[in-house]
Formats: sequence, C-alpha cells, structure tokens
Amino acid sequence: MDAPVAEGEVLAIAAQIFAALVDGEEGRLVPWPAPQPEPEHDVAAWVDVAGPWAGRASLETSSDAAADLARALLGLAPGAPVPDDEVADALGELANVLGGNVKALLPHYGALGLPRVAGALPGDDEGRAVRRVPLAWHGHSLVLTVWERSPLAGAADGGEVR
Amino acid sequence: MRALVVDDSRTMRRIVAATLQDLGFEIAEAENGAAALALLESGLTFDLACVDWNMPQMDGLEFVSQVRTGNRWRAITLMMVTTESEQEQIVRALAAGAHEYLIKPFSPDALRDKLQLLGLLPAVAGGVA
Repeated sequence: MDAPVAEGEVLAIAAQIFAALVDGEEGRLVPWPAPQPEPEHDVAAWVDVAGPWAGRASLETSSDAAADLARALLGLAPGAPVPDDEVADALGELANVLGGNVKALLPHYGALGLPRVAGALPGDDEGRAVRRVPLAWHGHSLVLTVWERSPLAGAADGGEVR
Repeated sequence: MRALVVDDSRTMRRIVAATLQDLGFEIAEAENGAAALALLESGLTFDLACVDWNMPQMDGLEFVSQVRTGNRWRAITLMMVTTESEQEQIVRALAAGAHEYLIKPFSPDALRDKLQLLGLLPAVAGGVA
C-alpha cells in the first residue's frame, strides 16, 4: 500500500499543532537544516492507529527539548522547573494530536490508541517508516515519523501510558 | 459559570482550563469519563463540560451518552474537544448528545468562538455571532 500521507501533509499538521498549542504563532517549527547531522534523541512519544490501515505516529526528540516543549505548552517561563511526569504528559499529548490528525487523512476509519512515552520507540519488527520528517524547533531537533504496521499488530509494548 | 474539563492529559486540561478561566469560568477537572460522572453524581453542577474522546476507563462518547440519558444533567452544555476529526466521528458525538465539537489543535480564540456559538459568552463585534 502506498504511504497514506505525504511528507508535506505531516509537516502542515505539525506546523498547525505547534502554532496553535505550543508557540501561539506560526514559523517556529521548520524543516531540519539537512546538511547538519541530527543529534541523538532520548525521548519518544507515539500513538498507534488500528484498522484497515494500521500504523503509528511518533515524535522523537531530546530530553532538553521535551522539557522546553512542556514549558511552552503549559505557559511556563523558560527554565522553570517542570516535573518529569508533566514532560511525559505534554509530549504524549503532542503525539496524540499528531496521530489524530494523521488518522484523519486515512482513506478508512482507524481507531486511535492512547499515547505512550519512553526513552526510545519500541524495537518491534512489525513496522516500517513510510514518512520521516526531521524538524527544528527553537534549535532543538524533533523527528516526526509515520509508520505502517501489519493490521494484525497489537499495541506495542514498552513505554508508559501517560 | 462553572466548567468541567475532562481529559486524560493534564497538559490539555491545563490548556483548556487556563483559557476558560481567562473567560471567567470556574473550573473543575476530571481525568476520564468515569471520574467526571462521579463529580456529577456527587451533586456538583456545571454549565459546560469540555470532553476529550479517547480516555481510559470511560471515553468521552460514553460519558456524553450517559449524561444525556435521563434528565438529571440536561442543563449541561457538552462540547467534545478531541483529535477525532473525521466527519463520521463528529456525527456520532452529536448524535450521542454533544452540542459542539472542537478539534485539537485549537487556539484560545477558537475555543472562545465555540463558547459564543453556544451562547455561553456574549458575542463580540466582529466575532462569531
């Protein structure tokens, strides 16, 4: 099956999410400057979609970026302390909104799972990345990925439900 | 005016609550439909409930259906606030008894506009009447 969403659609969804919920204005989330190598990511959040098309939408970034995202979402001052569980909740909600809007582009109805957050994406062999969109947000690296999975695949193990 | 914000994400509850508080609402929060229903059963009254769809234990659609069953909580205005954006989902929610539907992501202005449509805020010149 062809990838159900185009890279431009993922980018447009992400830009809309960040403008509405994170930054309050457009233009802060931009494509990652390609020649520059992407740094290591140590936080991942994702939601699974079940149905005729089974897949996953994920967001990977660094712990520092995740904390800054949580502060922005919660309207906290830069550098303000933010507990780890609130960072996980914020990142999970971003993945949830991303996944829900990706799901809306599918030709058939899909059921959205609950968001999960962990240090890395599950290492299962059931999926393949069909869209990978590296982005920069206030100098941080974020990668959004849409995965295609077997319709028989269940919700992945690993990660904490927010 | 009193509003109940029902969402399993604390982050989203705080975002919605902050906007509603800025508009003059008193806020209570619940992390799923079952907890929200328990608040109603306890006798608390609300003018508005903003309800997420996908939540553990009891989802937003089931919560809306239960609130609309019988006449006990007829006065509450129910607005889904969710990532579920397919037309068939919107139709299901409205059929279950939701009065309005707001798709995430949304801006504070979009939430305010919905409340004006629902008659919970006075319309402003140039805004949604």
